[in-house]
Amino acid sequence: MTGAQLVLKVLQQHGIKHVFGYPGGAIMPIYDALYDSEVEHFLCRHEQGAAFSAVGYARSTNSVGVCMATSGPGATNLVTGLGDALLDSIPVVAITGQVFSSLMGTDAFQEMDVLGMSLAVTKHSFVVEDISELASTLHQAFELAQSGRPGPVLVDIPKDIQVGAVDFEPYPIPEKQIPVFEPDLVEQAKALIAAAKKPIFYVGGGVGMADSIEQLNALLDYTQIPAAATLKGLGTIDPSYPHYIGFMGMHGSKATNMAVQECDLLICTGARFDDRVTGKLDTFAPNAKVIHLDIDKAEFGKLRQPDVAIRGDFRELLPALAVKTDIAQWQAKCSALKTEHAWRYDAPGEGIYAPALLNQLSSKLPHDHVVSCDVGQHQMWVAQHMQFTSPRNHLTSGGAGTMGFGLPAAIGAQIARPDTMSVVVSGDGSFMMNVQELGTIKRFRLPIKIVLIDNQRLGMVKQWQELFFEERYSETNLSDNPDFLTLAKAFDIPSKTIHSKFDVEAGIDALINTDGPFLLHVAIDEKENVWPLVAPGKANHEMIEG
Amino acid sequence: MSHTFNIIAKQQPAMLERVLRVVRHRGFNLQSLNVADCTESGNVEIELTVSGVRPIETLQKQLDKLYDIAHLELTSAADAVAIRA
Ligand SMILES: Cc1ncc(C[n+]2csc(CCOP(=O)(O)OP(=O)(O)O)c2C)c(N)n1
Repeated sequence: MTGAQLVLKVLQQHGIKHVFGYPGGAIMPIYDALYDSEVEHFLCRHEQGAAFSAVGYARSTNSVGVCMATSGPGATNLVTGLGDALLDSIPVVAITGQVFSSLMGTDAFQEMDVLGMSLAVTKHSFVVEDISELASTLHQAFELAQSGRPGPVLVDIPKDIQVGAVDFEPYPIPEKQIPVFEPDLVEQAKALIAAAKKPIFYVGGGVGMADSIEQLNALLDYTQIPAAATLKGLGTIDPSYPHYIGFMGMHGSKATNMAVQECDLLICTGARFDDRVTGKLDTFAPNAKVIHLDIDKAEFGKLRQPDVAIRGDFRELLPALAVKTDIAQWQAKCSALKTEHAWRYDAPGEGIYAPALLNQLSSKLPHDHVVSCDVGQHQMWVAQHMQFTSPRNHLTSGGAGTMGFGLPAAIGAQIARPDTMSVVVSGDGSFMMNVQELGTIKRFRLPIKIVLIDNQRLGMVKQWQELFFEERYSETNLSDNPDFLTLAKAFDIPSKTIHSKFDVEAGIDALINTDGPFLLHVAIDEKENVWPLVAPGKANHEMIEG
Repeated sequence: MSHTFNIIAKQQPAMLERVLRVVRHRGFNLQSLNVADCTESGNVEIELTVSGVRPIETLQKQLDKLYDIAHLELTSAADAVAIRA
């Protein structure tokens, strides 16, 4: 068979049924092989769309997503999506076509140093130099993307290798290697937990990625320790857990931040002390000892020195930490904070209050659904006011904060989980960043539900200009937005605009109950801001509330 | 303060660029670099001296994650630690 056919055979060996991509000269042999392969290819309308669809596919299933592109500009268009996957530790394999090996380094047409370019945005990357190494390189790419701390891996395949002849060999998928943790460290951690008067779990995305949601909730149940979640951790803690406090960080709930600031033991579980979580680092949970649990030991001590750090597979590590606690006073304190700072939805006026709309939408969606959001104020409102039953159901660009993420990521999720309702919550700025992917929705008749929160502004930047730049609104006015309903119509997507809070219920019903895709255009007041907020450089207990 | 690593790495395209990129990105300066190719084994021996104000362990752990690095040893620090990749 040809190298190109071998590529698809290897994808099948790894269980890959769907790939996202865009063809071009240097990857044409692979597209030719796709023509009669069982691997189904979804044509996106921009390689960045393909990369984000692969990310959405991976995140919504906790498995690997695959995207492909041609050399030169095709590959550069993947870069943002790969960088996004790197910062959120998402397993993606990107396959790029490259010019003939003999032309590499000659500035040939569409020849760029893709390997060089990939170094800063991937966990690892390969260029295949010999057809005999094609299969093993791809196997390594799949293994690396998913092992340890997951991440994106790129394989650049020159055209001569795609057209060359090669034999196909079966490949036994190796057993996953599970890191073993030291029992001594577990004993030290248990002693810290048992001695703590005000312990808190700081739960990140690592728990869901390690497939250990059950183990975490069992541990919470056993210890009854109050727990908070990061943006990527939302949906991990069982919403009925009585000591779940909420979302932490810059736009977290005040209750959560106050509790974390006061704790005497922080059990950081699959999280990494991101500055959006900690606020001013040296004021974060200032009196707390730290237990840091992760699969990546490079996170230990990177920003906060742990008292005990344990690297391990959470499915084994978390159950080993079960200790009974006696912290009734602290539990009561956390509950009181939660009650005191509960979200309120009784906004004055007739306009639409986006947090209330999102909260209502959340309660009306089918139990199992995916929400994919873009970046900005609306993203924070989603995190604050929608409820998730699994981190796989909340797709959000956390580490990179990439506008344009929402629509293509929802497409990936819809294809991965065709029976699950996939909802995009976007802003008028972000939506335009990958708006071409409406073409992908049209082509595959994907029943994606789009909620477009339109404040005619680059709202989050505008909010910072208002608060920190003396209301100098430089380049954040989008009042010349296109007519979004006409835009939707061009892609056969029915739509509706709502302006008043009295239209919200009917709007949500139309969104959910209309067969196929729908765009609900929600006009809101541009003055609305996200609260509460920790100003950059401030401590989390200095949170300001509107 | 300068620190020296002894590294054994696989001879792979971009391996050296990857090492140097991590050194720079994680906040260290390159002071000297010695590379010896051991052709028979397919490995490369690298002696890398860097300086920087951040704790050297942070760089050590990042380098240790690189897939191409088979062995990494921090030789100059008082409490030299060897990690197997
Ligand atoms: C690709 C990219 N460019 C720029 C930014 C900086 N940025 C963050 S939020 C934001 C405004 C987003 O506006 P919109 O999508 O309308 O959402 P809103 O904040 O109004 O809800 C911008 C420009 C970014 N995060 N990503």
